[in-house]
Amino acid sequence: MNRSAPRSIDQYLRQLREELAGADAALIQDALYDAEEYLRAEVAAHPEKSESDVLELIASTYGAPDEVADAYRDTEIKVKAAMATPRKVPTSKIGAFFGVFLDPRAYTSLFFMLLCLATGIIYFVFAIVGLSLSAGLAVLIIGVPFFLMFVAVGRVVSLAEGRLIEAMTGVRMPRRPVYQGGAQTFWARIGEMLRDRRTWTTIAYFVLMLPIGILYFVIAVVGLCVSMAFIALPIVAVLAQAGWFGLGGVEVFSQAQPEWIFDSGFAIPILGVAGVLLLTSFMHLARGVGKLHALFAKSMLVARVAPGTAGSAAPRAALAAH
Amino acid sequence: MDDSNERKFQKELNGGLVGLVLLAVLAESDEDLYGYEIAKRLANANDGTSIFKEGTIYPVLRALSAGDLLTSRIVPSYSGPPRRYYRITEQGRSVLAEWKLIWRGTRDFVDRFTETETSRIGPSS
Repeated sequence: MNRSAPRSIDQYLRQLREELAGADAALIQDALYDAEEYLRAEVAAHPEKSESDVLELIASTYGAPDEVADAYRDTEIKVKAAMATPRKVPTSKIGAFFGVFLDPRAYTSLFFMLLCLATGIIYFVFAIVGLSLSAGLAVLIIGVPFFLMFVAVGRVVSLAEGRLIEAMTGVRMPRRPVYQGGAQTFWARIGEMLRDRRTWTTIAYFVLMLPIGILYFVIAVVGLCVSMAFIALPIVAVLAQAGWFGLGGVEVFSQAQPEWIFDSGFAIPILGVAGVLLLTSFMHLARGVGKLHALFAKSMLVARVAPGTAGSAAPRAALAAH
Repeated sequence: MDDSNERKFQKELNGGLVGLVLLAVLAESDEDLYGYEIAKRLANANDGTSIFKEGTIYPVLRALSAGDLLTSRIVPSYSGPPRRYYRITEQGRSVLAEWKLIWRGTRDFVDRFTETETSRIGPSS
């Protein structure tokens, strides 16, 4: 490490962020949060010393930014390895295709697709009500505080959404919120918040979640219904043949259309097999959608470059885009 | 060069020890502790300087918490971001008991060689 030792909390955090460059965005957010907690507590514990005097000793107690960055990377790898339950990976192509039924991620992703309709409605209402009330109240004295509260609550909600997504899809999301620093003035914090690209992408994410949620829900329900219906077909056919199943005297399959399917003896089992294949493909689809959505959420909810170091052009472009 | 070798060795040693020490500290404590407080307790127990860098305990705390060995709650703070207070779980206590046995066994085994080394080989260069 040849660079100068950090002399302020902001410098330390910036160096730590640089050392962690390339690591998972969620990990960086957590590491910065922890460091900030420690450094601010250390400064508060030594009111007789200046911030730079406290920071001078920080490399020997908390650790230099490069050491701390190493510790986070190492622990992350170890924990991931220890927590991942070893799963038998089916070797054959057929095994890999049907193996999706043994993957809990496929089921949780499917559940997530259904849940997205509910959360999407909540997020959409939250974002629209928040934005329109902020605009409406802007002429009154409570307008600005209301908007700030809306953004702050939005951050908490986005953290919760991140936790939900990690639980459902296994993609790493932040476990700590972004902390905006305490030493700034009120107006500086507001400026920071408005310039932060993530503030706007988070709101955009909330709005987009309604159409996305509807789409996921429809795909999930249609996929499940169609494939389940095909799978149920042979069973229903057998039961109907045995006379266990009918609709008030109407024979189910004598009326069924088109005739060429229900008249031939092979067609019904073949449709059943098709249903199994369809359901399996659908589980693959659900798992894939879960993964993709997690990446999308990460790009929208987690800062790629944490606030403060962001170039001035990008946030302005984001502001213009909204 | 020498110094970096020592540091590397110490770091490798610390790999599993941090978790053991953190569990032990939390098991002894009557109250919930947050990261900074734990770090200071470790440093105070060793004349103000901790064996490992205090920045390394946070990711380990989070890992222990993810393994259900610790529970945590968040409390707002005046000095900085809200603090996360940790408390050891029953599962954590039983894991700690096992880890203590392993540590004692390891320590005795290592001692058997390192304690006699000076007397057998002598301080030859």
